[in-house]
This record gives sequence, C-alpha cells and structure tokens, in this order.
Amino acid sequence: MKFNRILTVAAIAVSGIFIASCSRQVTRVSTDQTIDVSGNWNNSDARMAADELTGKILGANWIDTHLNEHQGKRPVVIVGFVQNKSHEHIDAETFLTDIESSFIQSQKVRLVQGGKKRDELRAEKADQQTNASVSSMKKFGLENGADYILQGSINSIVDAHKRQKVVYYQVNLELTNIQTNEVVWIGEKKIAKYVKN
Amino acid sequence: MKKNIFIIALMLLGGLFSGNVNAQQTALLLADQNPRYMESQAKYIRVADTLNSLHGTTIQNTYKAYDWYEAKLERRRQNREWRHEERMNGYYDYSPSWGLYGGYSYSPFLNYGWGNRWGGYGGRWGGRTSIGIGFGW
Repeated sequence: MKFNRILTVAAIAVSGIFIASCSRQVTRVSTDQTIDVSGNWNNSDARMAADELTGKILGANWIDTHLNEHQGKRPVVIVGFVQNKSHEHIDAETFLTDIESSFIQSQKVRLVQGGKKRDELRAEKADQQTNASVSSMKKFGLENGADYILQGSINSIVDAHKRQKVVYYQVNLELTNIQTNEVVWIGEKKIAKYVKN
Repeated sequence: MKKNIFIIALMLLGGLFSGNVNAQQTALLLADQNPRYMESQAKYIRVADTLNSLHGTTIQNTYKAYDWYEAKLERRRQNREWRHEERMNGYYDYSPSWGLYGGYSYSPFLNYGWGNRWGGYGGRWGGRTSIGIGFGW
C-alpha cells in the first residue's frame, strides 16, 4: 500500500519534470530590444529603417519648397508600392506604417489612402448612395488628389563562405511629384550584418 | 453661279467649325502642355485600376542567395528524405557507413572509384553511387 503511494507520487513528479522540461517558454520582450536569432531581417531592422527614414523625410526641405510654391498648403502624399528585390521575404509595411504615422502626427504632411483600402472606401461610398440618408451620404469626386507618391525598393547583397556570412540590406524610398515626375526626395537606410553559424 | 455660292458657303461653314474646334482644343491646353496628352491619358486610364491596386503593398521579387551553410543543411535534409523514401520503397540495404565521405560503401574490401559493389549504376539496390573507402562486414 505504502509502496504504491510512493510509486504514484514518484510517477507524478517524474511526469511533472518531463512536462516542464518539454514545454515551450515564451517571454514578453520590449519591442525596442534587439534580439538577433537567425541573422535574417527582423523587427529591429524594420524599426531602424523606420526611425532613420522618418527623420530624413520630415527633415528634408521638400516640405518647405512645397509650402512656398503652394501658398502654405500642406503636401498630400500617397504611398505607392515597394519592391522587395532582396533574398528574404520582407514586408515594407512594417516600416512604412511608422512613416505614415509620423506624417499624421507631425501635421506637416497630409496622407491619402491608396490601393485596396481606397477601393474599399469607394465601395462604401457607392453603398451610401443607395442606403445612407441624404444628409449623411458622402459624394463621389471630392477626394484629395495626391501631390506626391512615395515609392521604394529593398535590395540585398549576400557574401557567404562556410559558416560565415555578411548580409547587406539597402532600403531606398523616393518621393516623386506626380504632376511633374520630379523626384523631390530620396532616402536610404543601409544595414550590414555579420553572421557566424 | 448658284452652285459656286453654295460651295463658298459650305467652305465658310467648314472653316468656322474647324476653327471653333481648334480654338476649343487650344483653350483646354495649359501653358506648355503637350497637345497629344490625351493619347497617354487614354492608355493609362485603362490600366490604372490594376496598377493602383498595388499601392501600399510590397511586391516580392526575391532571389535565392547562395549560402554555403544553408546549402549544406539542405543537402543533409534531402539525403535524409531520399533515404527515407528508399526505405519506404523496400530497399533495406542502408546501414550507417564508416566510409571516408559518409557514403554507403560497406564492402569488405577497399571500394574506391565511382560505382557500387552491387553492379554499378542503376543496380538492384537502387542505383546508388559512392566514392570512398568503405569498412564493414
């Protein structure tokens, strides 16, 4: 009887240790903390790109030039597409959203919606034409036209031999005047990493 | 005579009409604007929806970079998969080898050069090839 009890306790203890040793551990970390696991593009790279490009685009003189040329009217920007020509899957939205957010927070630049989201807005407007009350119905043809389009590209160079690897990323963003096709601002962020396996 | 007057009247009317159209076209053009801008506009209005649907997105146009270490891991993975398939197919001839290059040459004698001890390429053991020196039973 006593032996059986000892055996049961021992079995529970052993299974407890086994479960604890096999369980996955997850810890919340600060999003500002740099944790490099594989050496691939990660959240720290996206954050560094966002910080640097935001500072550059808002500090450049294209805004003042536009304000002078348009009687103090703030420039309207639409975000175009970013081409990822690197060797990794990278979503530019991770840093573009930070830049868009800075446009709105700084109140220096106005932002208009594009792509699928704009389609959705127009579809909603179309729906309102038949379903909303006349006083609340939004009209077509009154959207803000963008003055500038923000486009970009991500490139990389990989130099690897045996267990060593150097990866170089370059994120380029360009702001172009839609009326004249004139590029008014170019920003770039370069990141180089040395990875040893 | 009557016929001549009719022709002159027609020419005058035609001239007036064309002049009016011309005047309207020049009035629509801004200073320094290309008079053929409508050709480009017509071309891009057709494709605008397709192109603009990509706004705010990332076009993935990636390439595969050669990484010696990654390639080595990939080769190992493929070998494991291949051996697994071989076993599934009923070829039970695999056993870990002490071959110099980690191959499958387990002949009791020195086995070097291309081929295998069971009769070269495409033999009854699945056509394995090996290079190296094997030790076994």
